Amino acid sequence: MSPQLNPHQPVGAVMVVGGGVAAIQASLDLADTGYLVYLVEKSPAIGGVMSQLDKTFPTNDCSMCILSPKLVECGRHPNIQILTNTEVMGVEGSVGAFRVSLYQKARYIDLNKCIACGACSEKCPKRVPDLFNCGLNQRKAAHVKYPQAVPLKYSIDRDNCIYFQKGKCKACQKFCPADAVDFTQQDQELTLDVGAVVLSAGFKPFDPTPFAQYSYTSFPNVVTALEFERILSASGPWMGHLVRPSDENEPKRIAWLQCVGSRDINNCDHGYCSSVCCMYAIKEAVIAKEHSHDGLDTAIFYMDMRTFGKDFERTYEGAKDKGVRFVRSRIHSIGELPNHDLRLEYVDEKGEAKSEDFDLVVLSQGLEMDGDTARMCRGLGLELADTGFVANGSFTPVASSRPGIYVCGALAGPKDIPLSVMEASAAACAASGDLAMSRGSLIAPPEEIPQRDVAGDSPRVGVFVCSCGINIAGVVDVQAVMDYAATLPHVDYVENNLFTCSQDTQDKMAAVIREQNLNRIVVAACSPRTHEPLFQETLQAAGLNKYLFDMANIRNQTSWVHADDPAQATERAKDQVRMAVAKASLLEPLSEAKLSILPSALVIGGGLAGMNAALELARQGFPTHLVERDNQLGGNARLLRITAKGEEVAPYLAELVQRVEDEPNITVHLGAAIQKVDGFVGNFQTTLAGGEGEEMVRHGVTIIATGAAEYRPTEYLMGQHPAVKTHLELDAAIMSGELDPAKINSAVFIQCVGSREPERPYCSKVCCAHSVESALWLKEHNPECQVAILYRDMRTFGERELLYKKAREAGVLFVRYDPENKPRVEAAGEQVSVAVQDPLLGRELSFDADLLVLASAVVSHRDEALAQMFKISLDQDGWFLEAHVKLRPVDFATDGVFMAGLAHYPKPMEEAVAQAQAAVARAVTVLSKGEMSLPGTVAVIDQNRCVGCGVCWAVCPFKAIDQDENGLAVINEALCKGCGTCVASCRSGAPNLRGFSNQDVLAQIGTMLLG
Amino acid sequence: MDNQAIAQGIREAAQRLLAEGLVDCVLGYEAGTVPMRERPFFAYTPEEALRLTWSGFCCNNLANFLIRRPQGETGKVAVVAQGCVSRNIVGLIKEHQLSREQVHVIGVASPGMLDRDKVQAAVGADKVISAAHEEGDELLVEGPGWQERLERKKVMRDNCYTCVQRNPVIHNELIGEESEPTHGGVIDKVAAPWEKLDPSERLAAFGENYQDCIRCYACRDACPLCYCHVCFVDEAKPQWCGKTQDEADVLTYHLLRAFHCAGRCTDCGACESACPQGIKVRRLTGKIEKDVREFYGYAPGLDEESVPPLSVHKPDDPQGFIK
Amino acid sequence: MSSNESFEPRIAAFFCNWCTYGGADLAGVSRLQYPPNIRAIRIPCTGRLSPTFVLQAFRQGADGVWISGCHPGDCHYIEGNLYARRRFTVLKSLLEYVGLEPGRLHFSWISSAEATKFQQTVIEVTEAVKALGPSKFLRKEIGMVA
Repeated sequence: MSPQLNPHQPVGAVMVVGGGVAAIQASLDLADTGYLVYLVEKSPAIGGVMSQLDKTFPTNDCSMCILSPKLVECGRHPNIQILTNTEVMGVEGSVGAFRVSLYQKARYIDLNKCIACGACSEKCPKRVPDLFNCGLNQRKAAHVKYPQAVPLKYSIDRDNCIYFQKGKCKACQKFCPADAVDFTQQDQELTLDVGAVVLSAGFKPFDPTPFAQYSYTSFPNVVTALEFERILSASGPWMGHLVRPSDENEPKRIAWLQCVGSRDINNCDHGYCSSVCCMYAIKEAVIAKEHSHDGLDTAIFYMDMRTFGKDFERTYEGAKDKGVRFVRSRIHSIGELPNHDLRLEYVDEKGEAKSEDFDLVVLSQGLEMDGDTARMCRGLGLELADTGFVANGSFTPVASSRPGIYVCGALAGPKDIPLSVMEASAAACAASGDLAMSRGSLIAPPEEIPQRDVAGDSPRVGVFVCSCGINIAGVVDVQAVMDYAATLPHVDYVENNLFTCSQDTQDKMAAVIREQNLNRIVVAACSPRTHEPLFQETLQAAGLNKYLFDMANIRNQTSWVHADDPAQATERAKDQVRMAVAKASLLEPLSEAKLSILPSALVIGGGLAGMNAALELARQGFPTHLVERDNQLGGNARLLRITAKGEEVAPYLAELVQRVEDEPNITVHLGAAIQKVDGFVGNFQTTLAGGEGEEMVRHGVTIIATGAAEYRPTEYLMGQHPAVKTHLELDAAIMSGELDPAKINSAVFIQCVGSREPERPYCSKVCCAHSVESALWLKEHNPECQVAILYRDMRTFGERELLYKKAREAGVLFVRYDPENKPRVEAAGEQVSVAVQDPLLGRELSFDADLLVLASAVVSHRDEALAQMFKISLDQDGWFLEAHVKLRPVDFATDGVFMAGLAHYPKPMEEAVAQAQAAVARAVTVLSKGEMSLPGTVAVIDQNRCVGCGVCWAVCPFKAIDQDENGLAVINEALCKGCGTCVASCRSGAPNLRGFSNQDVLAQIGTMLLG
Repeated sequence: MDNQAIAQGIREAAQRLLAEGLVDCVLGYEAGTVPMRERPFFAYTPEEALRLTWSGFCCNNLANFLIRRPQGETGKVAVVAQGCVSRNIVGLIKEHQLSREQVHVIGVASPGMLDRDKVQAAVGADKVISAAHEEGDELLVEGPGWQERLERKKVMRDNCYTCVQRNPVIHNELIGEESEPTHGGVIDKVAAPWEKLDPSERLAAFGENYQDCIRCYACRDACPLCYCHVCFVDEAKPQWCGKTQDEADVLTYHLLRAFHCAGRCTDCGACESACPQGIKVRRLTGKIEKDVREFYGYAPGLDEESVPPLSVHKPDDPQGFIK
Repeated sequence: MSSNESFEPRIAAFFCNWCTYGGADLAGVSRLQYPPNIRAIRIPCTGRLSPTFVLQAFRQGADGVWISGCHPGDCHYIEGNLYARRRFTVLKSLLEYVGLEPGRLHFSWISSAEATKFQQTVIEVTEAVKALGPSKFLRKEIGMVA
């Protein structure tokens, strides 16, 4: 580490604690914006709970599939150092200059030598429960946490290793082909200097073991939801066959019990709602049905279904259509029948006792603070909330109580993956803001090695055949493959390596490329998915364009899978080598276009999200244009009274507006609209139209924070009777003092007005808590006031559940209604009369109310014009559509455009602020570069062949194809991601995909069967 | 209105459009040098417009000539269009080969075009035909010293018999009245002869159908969908398809060409009419037409808005065959 | 078909880089054994697969063709596989209409976590093609290969 020259300059490094998806996202964002990152993970591999999940809601994407690329990116990032088996012992100092002490347990495997062949594990005689699979099966003491682990290195579990227990064995060491086992390794204490710390150590799934009523330990067929994820998972204990633990038979009836360890202060002391369990239970039920061949019965036993997120309500309705049963009930006991089936005794909503039998019961366990994490946080001096999670404020959602230490993900409260990922980026933004002047100070710029010009030279292919110890050579006749390779056209050099990927072999390979004047390289070894970047670096080190490379996968897809047929494995290896050589001979050097980035931003929307985004951008030194269509800043926040935590909005907002106005890096454009947009990532030219005419601004990135609107109800006498108000109208009346609580002796709130309706089939997320807050205000200011909230499901998620509880204690009456039986409102003089059918009592209740508050929906602006100008999409409800629902929640598929706030989906203020910070972190990954290198494997159009028919630009998922002035297609390389859909769709042969060209693929097809 | 009256209507419309300078030219049909071979004709003046005609032998798809206008001509053109031609015009607009403003569509309901090979076969292969006149539902065929009346329906082109859209889908003016949308044939039956067979018989039938193909590419050249500058079949690098008359090469050509027509082919029959070898080219395109309709509810060229089926997707698209 | 018992089919397999190729790699990591009859070509996305690649494979003498990519919704390129789904629905129907035996051309969605599904699918595809014997579909005679 280079010494700090300026004692006042902060350290340009950040420590990220935890290894889950939030930690990974925070690390990547920081590393991509010029900071050195230490990623500190307690276990031997990163990945966290997400790596254990089978699918993710609401899209049912394969969890590992979407996580894996991020893991690999993290593992390979030059600015990220992953410290596994490591825990934080203490943090001294203050923001800009922290000193962190760490304790790293020995792995007993040399990370530099391990080739992850698995020989150690295979030979290890000691079996122990596999905690990655929740103990449902066993692993060895020498093990890898899971097959896609990063780092993909084995480790020896000291507590279970026979050598450490009994002093002899060392089978692993004897059989390791790479000499990687090292029993002399010692635990170490480390000290590292960093400028900021991001804590994202995650949560602990609630453990039902101590609670007799769940019968979790007594009955084998009662499993936790996480165990069920592993049962469903293709890489789980039963390879994705849906069976129950007692007899490994396929269950025919499965029940989910909601709120296990949540919304329960009697047993587990967790008054909060865990926010995610309703959705994962629905997901698991639907997936289980898909797994099962003959009509699996699935039933979810719940109190309120809380499907409040983007597309959650649709998923809920879809699950009903697919036959998942939802039973509103209270379970009082689980009994076991002689065949290990389970009998649920419950009370339904009407108070009737019922019983039903199931083959398997899944406990929808909540999320809780991990004891070790809590101890660490207390040790660092952080304040914890009553819920046990780290305390934070609504306007500073990722700040802990200690400056310079940021929090994200579930250790700051239960939440789902997208929100965790958003907060991770937000924490990266906050840390990056503290350290902006030290950006780039600790990272080495990549070395530029001049490239040899090989254009026009006839191909001289070098083939490197890897033995991978015995992983390949033990099955495939490597010598025969080499001899064969030498006979292939254009092959001028063939070599065998014991481990092609080892550092010394790589150095040697670079030398051979130069000495032999090779200009195309084929490595026959493992998988390009894991090793292509490594070998490409070696090509670059040898002055060869990195795209002059191909691999033959003769390990993962040959020796390992045809181990019992060495002759055929060798034939396949030869064929794959021949195909790779044929393709490599045709490869052309590709240039990576450089795109200059204007270091400035445009933020559209001057509400809470937009102003926060602009301020964070400005703090990191990027000039920002803030455009607001209204004539004043503030947006919807002007109309809101308090946050769910009880913070007043108006004083905060006033300060925020002041800060924006005082910030020299921000140019505010009031009363302005977006007229026209040209350009793309790095170089946008946007024309603003306002009172003062048109103005063109140039900017490198865009953040869309255009907000949403309150639905204007037409039902329930809205606009026809003075006693009827919407939420925002009530807030305004309270804030202005216009509403005299003494005069309100009876108030009724109706929930879901305009939400969860056929024309708006989504939950507006914020209304339940808003009603509870307002109800509490009325009760506080007039304890005599009778308040009733008429609801469908109370969705006071997370710690809002505590508000719900408080409201019940304060005497607020909660009455559920069915959508088929909506409340009826009639004018009754100055009052309104509200009648509602109470499904519990089975009779009608009626209220004469001085005040009727409608929890009206949040509706999108459905801004199609803006979407079109920035080449982004809207979803069916008019919300802006993110690049990936789970892992890219603030990005668009279009590079350089990001979003925050209500434009994405209804959300409370702390999420809007976090999303604004997240959008900035993502934007800064672009802005901080100055110049962007685009991958060479992009599509290209041969305009001599193009007829301008438009198929290519219609199908391009990234809108990377434009029409030129002649109506012909041109690829915008800045936007092209290289999928090749245009190539396969074109009839005229105009597009081609560099690196996977028609010629390349045909060469492989053409040579495939020549053997 | 009979064909002669419609021909008169077309001529009057063309003269008016040209005289008033509303279009640069009018694309229609003129009589050929031999009977039953009406051919495309561009009229640039009101006088030339008198040569325009209309009959049951207007088998070329004029949409194809709209995009093959003489070099340098880009002004507004009027075109005579029956159902299929109008559908192809819509297709060309969707594919950005034409703009709607650029074409003035003189719509005509198709009478169902006639197949001269069927006519010849009906009167006898050795007879020389000197004239053929349509009279209502009959065709009066004449030769040196003989006359024969044929039932029109019996000598109609196959595709016209199964046509489902005889009326133009777009037009600026309509000559004559709209007619019944179909001639009563069942379009699904186009693919039926092979669908009935088992795989090995299908392969044999497929090979047999194309065994006389001489790779003259008349089918491609007659097709309003085939406007690529370089056809895949002429590509050398990469060579998608061998140049020989070897069966594999011939069939590859026809399969790929048919696939390129997926979601675009209006079953206008120009390919079959153009084939000098009498090959039933529609056997392939007819199958795709049916599939696209059944899988995606799409029929090409019926409206200007819908997105072609291979340029779009839906979450619940059929995928029964995918493991 | 006893005559096909000794027949070893040759199957051209196109895998998308992000899902099925990953599933194939994972099958290796998990040491799941399967028949050695496939030859894999890695493409970025099933959306990249031109219909003609399928024809080329048969022309060159492949006895079967197998295309596999990401499940709907998992596509690394958002929707490439969904365009591919339509393209191959039409292509498969067309090829089988002209006499390609059902069982020669296969499609699957296999995620990078579905090693077992990968293994099972290789076995299924291989058995299906093996049962059909050598393919004559569009096959160029030796020496006439373009």
